Amino acid sequence: MEIRTSDRFPGVEWVGDPGEFIRVDESKCDGCANCVRVCLAECFEIREKKARVRTLAECMECAACWYVCDKEAILFSWPPGGTGFRTNWG
Amino acid sequence: MVDYDVVVVGSGFGGPVAARKCAEAGLDTLLLERSEVPGEKVVSGLVIPFYGFTFGPDFIREGNPPLERPICKVVNRFVRDGEIYATDATLRVPKPLALGYAAYCKPFCTWLADKAVEAGAELRTSTTAVEPILEKGAVRGVITDKGEEIRCQVLIDAGGTQNRLALQAGLRRKYLPESLELYMIWDFEMAKEDVDETFGLSMEFFHAFPEEGIGAPLGYGSTLYIFTYRESIHPGLGQFLVTRGEIPNAAKLLPRYFENFQEKVTRWKRDIAPKVRLRAVTWDVCPIYAGLIPETRNMPVFGDGILVIGDAAGFEASAFGDGVPSAWFSAELAAEVAVEAVRKGDSSRSALHQYERRVKEHPYITWIITDWRRWDLRKILVSRSEADLRRMIRDHWGIGAFRYRYSGRPLAKAVREALRRDPRAPLKWMEMFSRYYRNWEENRFDPLSESGRYTRPLAGKTHLQPDI
Ligand SMILES: Cc1cc2nc3c(=O)[nH]c(=O)nc-3n(C[C@H](O)[C@H](O)[C@H](O)COP(=O)(O)OP(=O)(O)OC[C@H]3O[C@@H](n4cnc5c(N)ncnc54)[C@H](O)[C@@H]3O)c2cc1C
Repeated sequence: MEIRTSDRFPGVEWVGDPGEFIRVDESKCDGCANCVRVCLAECFEIREKKARVRTLAECMECAACWYVCDKEAILFSWPPGGTGFRTNWG
Repeated sequence: MVDYDVVVVGSGFGGPVAARKCAEAGLDTLLLERSEVPGEKVVSGLVIPFYGFTFGPDFIREGNPPLERPICKVVNRFVRDGEIYATDATLRVPKPLALGYAAYCKPFCTWLADKAVEAGAELRTSTTAVEPILEKGAVRGVITDKGEEIRCQVLIDAGGTQNRLALQAGLRRKYLPESLELYMIWDFEMAKEDVDETFGLSMEFFHAFPEEGIGAPLGYGSTLYIFTYRESIHPGLGQFLVTRGEIPNAAKLLPRYFENFQEKVTRWKRDIAPKVRLRAVTWDVCPIYAGLIPETRNMPVFGDGILVIGDAAGFEASAFGDGVPSAWFSAELAAEVAVEAVRKGDSSRSALHQYERRVKEHPYITWIITDWRRWDLRKILVSRSEADLRRMIRDHWGIGAFRYRYSGRPLAKAVREALRRDPRAPLKWMEMFSRYYRNWEENRFDPLSESGRYTRPLAGKTHLQPDI
């Protein structure tokens, strides 16, 4: 499986294809940008007054975005087994 | 027809303890973990407090888990304009006693999973439980990411903070953002001699008023702490996802606090920075105040066919964020109840209700999730009194921590219960403290299964494998 790393966040690897395990339901999103504010990996951006997933490349699966969305517009699930982030130093 | 008596979802800190106990009792037990190696997706502090070891599972106390450093002293630094103007190091115990033990999650959780497997549990890694199998409101098993349906009598949800299964089962709701702290952690390599010289067997906290810019406002997050490991240090800090009524710009704030700390605080610049090299940056959320907020505290921890333990059940210590002991305690209680349920062939809600009763009776769990000490620091933002700050820190993170109204009460109760079960318990504790200390000195721990070894080069760097 492909393994990616990041210069910004050393000591972490992202394995394989985790798929779109975080998505935004645009019909519910009111563009409040709470998800943008809490995401350390800059996964989100606001375009045309809606949050969009920009990339999940550096996501550590903490789900802060999901917790702060009181419109329930963030859909959060786990990546398939064995994919996504991992670290020796947690 | 069931495939297993018990399925435990999550092989972090709590899951393997529950799985081991079920397997020991002869139950057909499956432990599911979404990561390839147990613990490599768990991000934590991590200093596990002593009471998790003394009052937790026998096999941990009697075993030799991979520990990074015994912590005998808490050093509280008070910072103004980058300088330390006072220090409180009144909370200390003489070695070989310890207030807690530093550890990395991956080797520790692998060690725990190994112990579950040794006892006869089946461990399946790289497998995500996607949703519960629900029949008339009862949980009958799980469906995996491979589409497999696994049926069981009792499902134990040990999936950690995000507790998706208990949510999908309609049992619980997601935690409110005001109960969640977002932590960011920086791991630095540092030669063992340097850690020994700079910190010894202590961990440090840096307390300051918000204008110092090195942490979230008091009570709205963890002040910057430095946990010390064998040959690394692990600074971290956190902020609640609601601070003074608003969702904070944590993405900017957390890295900035740490930058400020590195740029301003002399202790870091002079004593630490020249000797360290950044190795890893991680983060995670933690439901620290879940027990302080009635709506979340009172969410069910059991249902028809399901028991919820550890972070998934909100058993996170509100003052210090130490959730591992309660994950272990609740894992043992859940396993006891699961074993009784399987033996009686009754895993209905009313049979599993026992679990909630035992959780409530436990000396530590309820006490620890309803401890207002960190929250109360918010009052200092109003009084703006340095004297108040120092007094509260002394009370909370200093010698006062052991007073009866704080940690003294659960400790006394737990000791009484342990003595009633086994009058020789104190001897066993002393034996454990001595052995753990010796293990640390000699850097010898139980060997880990192949999967948990640090042999696979990860992000460029390997780590000395503790081995016997
Ligand atoms: C930054 C930080 C610092 C902390 N510091 C400390 C500390 O110093 N001391 C302390 O005692 N505690 C500390 N804690 C808390 C401690 O880490 C947790 O309380 C503890 O890990 C909880 O154990 P658990 O078994 O409930 O969940 P976890 O240890 O999180 O384990 C959950 C496991 O389940 C797996 N999983 C989840 N969902 C699924 C699924 N659907 N299918 C398959 N697998 C799944 C995950 O991959 C994971 O391995 C800290 C936490 C954080 C975030």
